[in-house]
Amino acid sequence: MICAKNIIYLDYAATTPVDDRVAAVMCECMTRDGVFANPASRSHQLGRDAQGRVEMARREVARLLGANHTEVIWTSGATESDNLALKGVAHAFRDRGRHIVTSRTEHKAVLDTARQLEREGFEVTYLLPGDAGRVTPEQVREALRDDTLLVSVMHVNNETGVISDVSSIGRVCRERGVLFHVDAAQSAGKLPLDVNRMHVDLMSVSGHKIYGPKGIGALFVRSGAASRLEPIIHGGGHERGMRSGTLPTHQIVGMGEAFRIAREEAAEEAERLKMLRDRLWEGISRLGGVMLNGHPQARIPGILNVSFEGVEGESLLFALRELAVSSGSACTSATREASYVLRALGRSDQLAQSSIRFSIGRYTTAEELDRAVAIVSDQVHRLRGLAPKNVVRGERQAS
Amino acid sequence: MDALDYSTQVRERFERPDNAGRLLGRAVTGAAGDEALGTRVEFDFRIRGDTVEKGVFRAYGCPHAIAAASWVAEAAEGRSLSDTSWLDPLSLASLLEVPDYKLGVLLVVQDALEDAASQLQRNED
Repeated sequence: MICAKNIIYLDYAATTPVDDRVAAVMCECMTRDGVFANPASRSHQLGRDAQGRVEMARREVARLLGANHTEVIWTSGATESDNLALKGVAHAFRDRGRHIVTSRTEHKAVLDTARQLEREGFEVTYLLPGDAGRVTPEQVREALRDDTLLVSVMHVNNETGVISDVSSIGRVCRERGVLFHVDAAQSAGKLPLDVNRMHVDLMSVSGHKIYGPKGIGALFVRSGAASRLEPIIHGGGHERGMRSGTLPTHQIVGMGEAFRIAREEAAEEAERLKMLRDRLWEGISRLGGVMLNGHPQARIPGILNVSFEGVEGESLLFALRELAVSSGSACTSATREASYVLRALGRSDQLAQSSIRFSIGRYTTAEELDRAVAIVSDQVHRLRGLAPKNVVRGERQAS
Repeated sequence: MDALDYSTQVRERFERPDNAGRLLGRAVTGAAGDEALGTRVEFDFRIRGDTVEKGVFRAYGCPHAIAAASWVAEAAEGRSLSDTSWLDPLSLASLLEVPDYKLGVLLVVQDALEDAASQLQRNED
């Protein structure tokens, strides 16, 4: 249970608290009696000790992805991994083509990078998922051109939790000899991953989404076809020249431990979270006039995205301030614009703005969710009661 | 002021808008805005003689919209509905600490009040 300042934490998709076991191993790698040395300092034992811890962590990350440890590059997080994947491929292989395919509901780390590549002269096709939020392999197949360099599709959407069929999309890309990147920031440690079975060439993952520290992530880069990425950070030649910079041993070790725990506990945790999420949805749906956003089945257990009819989004978010939840994605909620993801799924501005993302995790309890349901019910009833009658009546008829 | 950071008066009126609702019996009604655009405000005023005896509101909108509608419904009491010049959106913005980018919300509230005044005029004609 997380109940800081009497606020119930239901924003695990934005970030997670560091697991105590992770914090413990991180603490071993910071102070003078620990493994603090530079892992690149192979001239002495302390440096080699740090390097050993880094490589153990790399193997843990690789194991969760079904990859070889030599195919894992450390980055500062999934945003940098996405940047490195898209720019790295585009810049390294620009002589082969200028076309990239992605979807309109990707994370901004992919979309903004794609926009930047457009400014550099690349062409990008943005696929529009169906109303369930999934890009289909057929859409990808139709979008591919002879000069397509890369397809980038996220595994799990950060706002809706919808799972894309990346294995089928990967097969299409493999058949056509096009590199395939998957942003797996929301799926690593929550769904089984296997970069070979999924035909993935590049995969972005993050530490802090699964109880590891912030500021650390990784990019899987398949040996062979994709292994000649053009770096976006130069200096020192770390990480096989693809990502220079002194490796943050404590963060890397923390991410490795988080991935180890996830590998061992994710299946059981997913079962528990599914029960909790269903309990939350059951309670909220009793309100009436609520709509589940995204695919009803193909979604991870930890995310529940709901639109509330007859209430305005900003008032709803303020009324629910005893709950730490997101309106749209955390990365865009500061602007109070309607979620571009939900708009792309066909929701009206009004329903997109009145959406709340509840995301639950390792420390969420049934008691917390029961209290959350009570708060949501009280506040939605209250706000609907303030609204002009025709608004509420009209929305209820629509439900 | 950051998003979701509201003045004390806005918070109080948002949490406990004592004058929200609908008036039974004869009342002059004014409305403005569109819920699809994020703000809709309605007023009911009971008129005795030339003045507003009781004002209530209904609002779909952000906390500023709800608070401003509540404040205007209350402030109208004891005034003549024929003259709405007392409501200055800029002064109200200052009073409630409404950020500049939300001034449009206060204009919707003002439009609803003026719609009620027009309704009164039509009734008298």
